[in-house]
Amino acid sequence: MPMSEAAMSDRGETTPESASSAKPMAGDLATIRGLTREYVSSAGLFSMKRTMRAVNDVSLDVPRGKVTGVVGESGCGKSTLARLVLRLIDSTSGTVAVNGVDLGSLTARELRKLRRNMQMVFQDPYSAIDPRYTIRDALLEPFQIQGVGFGAAGPVGAIDELIARVGLSPRLAGSYPHQLSGGQKQRVGIARALALKPSFVVLDEPTASLDVSIQAQIIGLLEQLKHELGLTYLFISHDLSLVRYFCDRIVVMYLGRVVEILPDARARPRHHYSLALMDSHFEPDPKRRKVVTRLAGEIPSPFDLPPGCAFAARCPAATGLCTRERPLLTGDAAGHQAACHHPAG
Amino acid sequence: MAFLSVRGLVVGIGRLTPLDGISFEIGKGEIVGVVGESGSGKSLTAMSVMGLLPLIGGKVKAGAMTFDGIDLLTLPPAGYRALRGKRMALISQNPMTSLDPIIRIGAQIDQMSRLHLGFEAEAAKARSIDLMEQLRIPDAATIYGSYPHQLSGGMKQRIVIAMALAADPDLIIADEPTTALDVTIQAQIIQIMVELVRERGLSLMLVTHDMGVVAQACDRVVVLYAGRVAESNGAGGIFEAPSHPYTRELVRCIPREGQPPGSLKGIPGAVPSVMDYPSGCRFHPRCPEAMPICEASVPALERKTTGLAACHLETVHAHV
Repeated sequence: MPMSEAAMSDRGETTPESASSAKPMAGDLATIRGLTREYVSSAGLFSMKRTMRAVNDVSLDVPRGKVTGVVGESGCGKSTLARLVLRLIDSTSGTVAVNGVDLGSLTARELRKLRRNMQMVFQDPYSAIDPRYTIRDALLEPFQIQGVGFGAAGPVGAIDELIARVGLSPRLAGSYPHQLSGGQKQRVGIARALALKPSFVVLDEPTASLDVSIQAQIIGLLEQLKHELGLTYLFISHDLSLVRYFCDRIVVMYLGRVVEILPDARARPRHHYSLALMDSHFEPDPKRRKVVTRLAGEIPSPFDLPPGCAFAARCPAATGLCTRERPLLTGDAAGHQAACHHPAG
Repeated sequence: MAFLSVRGLVVGIGRLTPLDGISFEIGKGEIVGVVGESGSGKSLTAMSVMGLLPLIGGKVKAGAMTFDGIDLLTLPPAGYRALRGKRMALISQNPMTSLDPIIRIGAQIDQMSRLHLGFEAEAAKARSIDLMEQLRIPDAATIYGSYPHQLSGGMKQRIVIAMALAADPDLIIADEPTTALDVTIQAQIIQIMVELVRERGLSLMLVTHDMGVVAQACDRVVVLYAGRVAESNGAGGIFEAPSHPYTRELVRCIPREGQPPGSLKGIPGAVPSVMDYPSGCRFHPRCPEAMPICEASVPALERKTTGLAACHLETVHAHV
């Protein structure tokens, strides 16, 4: 299991920002406070050891029964965050509490028991299923590992019900993964995650490797399952249009930090990075062609972050203040938070 | 006569026939999108036009292909070599397939104008730096002396575009040029590429799976499905009055701004494999409007209310 992987570096200090964050609300399934994960690059013959924070002091609430979307470009830390939230990897500092239980305080045995309630769907359905297992075997595995009974339906009935729930034909139970299409494999990945009736599912780019027509199928299925089973999702994606369609709240990450939290998908962003992300999205409508001017420059190296706002070098609104001082995440009454010295109106 | 014309192109690889009667045209100065899902044959179409099929053991079995009046199918390898790079240039998805990791960036761009236009070293360098600046590469003179590994993915793709433009080609074939890049970088590169192509009046064949990129950049669009053309239409027609149910369903798979929850459905079934294509219209098992004739006979690509489509339906309704 990846959870045995030890943190690769020293524990970082907690910053005042995370310590002062609000108490978890009653409606939150997961509460994340000051979550940080560092990686250290190995020292080469001519280079020094360097440290990067893939996830840097992230505080976030995941409301029950809602879809919380985390969006950002490659290297922003969104997939690391997904793994930290389920403690598939250990954090350098900070806490994750699910249903009020601090995951960091649990022993391996306790954590394993809790995993029934929190599951993950991975981006690549090709590597998530053992190629030597039939679909039936792959779906039986979670029950065997956790020592959970099948209920009145028995093993055959339980697996048949799972297969039907994700919209697969019962004929496929005896098939091997290589006999399935990408979309069918991702349905198996979802069925596996749902086998033990979790209430919290982390979706790490579940449609990124699928064709457009299949992506829409899978998103439709995830919406339906959430509705039927009352699930809470943390949805990781690089696709802002998908996140705006699917999610109740949107968390925008840039270089390891949360730069903005939008309380609903319709809210107009205030952080200039979020605005740039929106500006970079081409609508499927030739009447709405746009001139992309907002962003110059490229994403800086995560090993070598500037002292101020990490986005300052690319930001059209940046001033001297932005390069000196890092803006803190501050919010309004509606729960709209942005980390920006000069937020857009 | 169209600048690039592909008619009834059938391509075989071994026993398989991944392209089965592809027809489309690209006019001078036109940007044409070739779109489709995986296995639709869009990249293979690009390779066919570039004369690169022998590299993957592919063979043209039937059809016709002309470029500026030159018959591409009877062109000997030496003739093709003279066209490639000079008159038609390729931009591929992964810039490292076009860049040599051990040669400095500048020398690689210079090579194009030296080889194809007979430029001397000094003139080639000036031209390369000018091109890099047009692609808004910051500090072009420094980057000129760098190696590919020192640059980001977006910067490398700009260098590949500079190389493609260096010999003043007439046709650029871009095969998923921004798929490997982050969205903010993708937007910049599509923007610059389209600007430069338009300024120079070049023809661009833009192979992509991204309907947003198509809507942003293309004049006309060829929609491929399972190795055949489903529809060929203007960008307006594709998005507002499609003539093939596949096009309509594909466009509906992309969430639009303000789309209500629960309304995204996708297309049932899976994209068929080249080993196992359905009979008749290859979309019929997934088509909400399939009729008995769709399974029995292959529809011809013919004129519809808007554009061309290979469909037995007279008219496709915008909403079903």
